[in-house]
Amino acid sequence: MSTDWDVAVVGAGVAGLTAAREAAEAGLRVVAYDRMAPGGQLVNLTSVHDHPRPGEVAESAGLVSRLVAEAEAAGVVMAFDEVTRVRPGPPARLETSEGAVTAGAVVVATGLGAGRLGLPGEEQLVGRGISTCAGCDGPLFRGRPVAVVGDDEWTAEEALELAEVASAVTVLVPGEPRWNDDRARRLAAAERVEVLTGASVTALRGEGLLAGVVVATPGGERELAVDGLFPYVGRRGPGGLVEEVPADDAGRLRADGERTAAGTVLVAGDARSGAVQSVTAAVDDGAAAGEAAVAVLRTAAGEASAAGLRTAAGPGLRIVDPTYGVPADEAEGAVAVGGGADWTEVALFSNSKPNATELLRGVGGRLQEHWALPELGFASKPNASAAADKDVIDWLSQRYKMVLVAVGD
Amino acid sequence: MELEKRGVVAPLLVTSTFLPLVEAQAKARRVTPRVIVVPHPVGGLNEQELVERIEAAAGALLPLADAAREGQ
Repeated sequence: MSTDWDVAVVGAGVAGLTAAREAAEAGLRVVAYDRMAPGGQLVNLTSVHDHPRPGEVAESAGLVSRLVAEAEAAGVVMAFDEVTRVRPGPPARLETSEGAVTAGAVVVATGLGAGRLGLPGEEQLVGRGISTCAGCDGPLFRGRPVAVVGDDEWTAEEALELAEVASAVTVLVPGEPRWNDDRARRLAAAERVEVLTGASVTALRGEGLLAGVVVATPGGERELAVDGLFPYVGRRGPGGLVEEVPADDAGRLRADGERTAAGTVLVAGDARSGAVQSVTAAVDDGAAAGEAAVAVLRTAAGEASAAGLRTAAGPGLRIVDPTYGVPADEAEGAVAVGGGADWTEVALFSNSKPNATELLRGVGGRLQEHWALPELGFASKPNASAAADKDVIDWLSQRYKMVLVAVGD
Repeated sequence: MELEKRGVVAPLLVTSTFLPLVEAQAKARRVTPRVIVVPHPVGGLNEQELVERIEAAAGALLPLADAAREGQ
């Protein structure tokens, strides 16, 4: 059976990168898809608690760097396309934003979507008071009251991080907390944190900007004035992405271990129904899924064919760009200078995070003065978690010699 | 990073917290980015704090931009 890839991994977070590395180290041709960038949920965390061992703390960005480096060293190809559909086959067929590809086995490691309450007006307030990243957006709420909604370890960590900047943090737990005793102690010791159990948000207040929430508690309904709301409930798995694979109520794929009902499709990390949501568990899950993918291929092709695959495969990273496909070999990695424009053509490109545009305009203004530029172009993407629009990139690259980009805050 | 690959000089303003992540992404994309690091965070700063970030970033950008222009 000829396929584009031996193993395709959907999602390049902790579980996905680990699975991809495991399969690549077995000599298989492995591609790992992520529509944005590698790192998954770690991108939204500044630190990871209880990793690599209980009681220890790891810097999330460093962890992402290591996972990417290890996958790269094993020969994993990163592809920044969005996978929109998986048909198990065999061979498995993946519909992506750049066309269809086939694979002998697929590991689904998409994780879960952002937390949502499912209330009217919620989407309009995302980025205008509603956030799911305390590390990114917490400083926006310095000295102001916020609420956090959820019951798990992540909720507790985000609440503790917010307590360092916010004037008050109300943790709204829909049922009973599921966080461990250590976090319970830390929350209890935090002066500005109040935990309300049996509390759920029933309405949002505010026009254009969040001004408060309505909270239903066992004692009745009450208004809570908050400027920030961080929901960690209602996170959905990739249910519907894969044909023939059932999902639970939260959209997480049902599986026996890492194996789904479809023989060619495995699932790893938070995308799996019943998964323990921790980095350590995701690493273990990813490794098991990678091993299972190798076993799937060996079973399908027999040991002799698997040995053949091993010979055919080789290390080396190719980048499949989300928009522009595979670059020519000679151009790969090149950082050339010289678009069609001249040096009077300079633009700013903002990711629209708070103050990103102001920072860009300030710094750009200094360059404009320094080079006596007649004007500065400007473009932005609507939010930091969306990929840049292809047309905007086309326009910037054709029109400008230099583009100052605000990418990370 | 895609802009750099297309021949556009594209300095990236990155806060210190996200620098390792940007470096990881650059490595995955086989690009050596021109990075200007500013202290984290940028969001939530008052006017004076933002001015300080702008001055620091401009101090790094101007020589980088001059070098890119002269190097062509």
